Amino acid sequence: MIADEATLARLMVAGQKGDKSAYNVLLSEAGLWLERYFRRRVPPHQLDDLVQDVLLALHNKRATYDPERPFLPWLAAIARYRWVDHLRKVYKHESDLLGDNDAVEDSHEDAIAARVSLERLFVQLPKKQAEVIELVKISGHSVREAARRTGQSESLVKVNIHRGLKKLSALVEKAE
Amino acid sequence: MKPAKEDMIASLTEELEPVRAFNTRDGMALLAVAAALTFAGVLVFEGFWHGILTGEASAFFWITNGLLALLGLASAGAVIAMASPRVGNRFDAPVWLSAMMAVLPVSAMLSVMPQQHGLDAIVNDMYGMHCLTYSLLSTVLIGAALTAWLRRGATVSLNAAGWFTGIAAGSLGTLAYGMSCSIVSITHLGIWHIAPVVISAVLGRLIVPQLVRW
Repeated sequence: MIADEATLARLMVAGQKGDKSAYNVLLSEAGLWLERYFRRRVPPHQLDDLVQDVLLALHNKRATYDPERPFLPWLAAIARYRWVDHLRKVYKHESDLLGDNDAVEDSHEDAIAARVSLERLFVQLPKKQAEVIELVKISGHSVREAARRTGQSESLVKVNIHRGLKKLSALVEKAE
Repeated sequence: MKPAKEDMIASLTEELEPVRAFNTRDGMALLAVAAALTFAGVLVFEGFWHGILTGEASAFFWITNGLLALLGLASAGAVIAMASPRVGNRFDAPVWLSAMMAVLPVSAMLSVMPQQHGLDAIVNDMYGMHCLTYSLLSTVLIGAALTAWLRRGATVSLNAAGWFTGIAAGSLGTLAYGMSCSIVSITHLGIWHIAPVVISAVLGRLIVPQLVRW
């Protein structure tokens, strides 16, 4: 069970003040939250790297958390930002598919987590852009394979990936 | 190869130092200092137009500078808030105020278009380029202060941050310069005191994202 919003916010404030034990718990809990957050949006073998990347960003940017505001929307904004960055960097020919564990649903996902989820971000994209980003950047198919599956030309696949990632960047804070 | 997550957490915990938590008041103070220095610089180098105090300033003067102040403050407020990211952040005010601002150049154009050689009054405005140049110079300090603030933060909406930084610096810089300008016609204010905001916005969009990316 991952700590709730109020607990995470309290731990973060303590961490900003230098409380190491609270900060250790915060990072562990945030790590679990991030694993669940990213689970369906990155291949399993990249999950740990991305979670660590966001934890490092959390640490480096911890001063930017405003104690008067909720913690999870702050963490989610950083997570989305790093995720879009990650998608840009993903090696396009990696072909590992998402495993069965990616289909696991979290029935107890709370309201805040739902509001800030990556799905909310993804559904803002036009279908053709979302489709090719899913295939190439998340499932690891080649551009050629994505073109074959979607009926788009290879150059259109590339253009749609480029446009989709650009739009995702612009939506990081907006899409609720 | 990255260390295991647990090792990383232990290492980050070990190196933890207290930090000063984000506070919008710090950003406002930084903006206030930059704006005050800009106003002071204008007063020193360009002087203060005393017509503002003696009732010579037209309604267009007050409307233009009032809108510049509102747009500048709304945009700067958005930039300051952007340093602390949050899903759900919305910054609509500067967008709508920018649209309101566009009424001024449109009004200036419409007021001269029906006249023969009307556009000449705008193009041949002998003080136009001076106002444009010095207004742009007046944006530098405010733009630099806001960019420094963003670099300290964790900006995730880079392009929007670039636009708003440029608009804020352009509006407040032009407002500061405007305290020295005695030309109060709509054709002058609507074109030559709005063009710096547009140019600054474009420069902000082009330059700032590169500087605040992390």
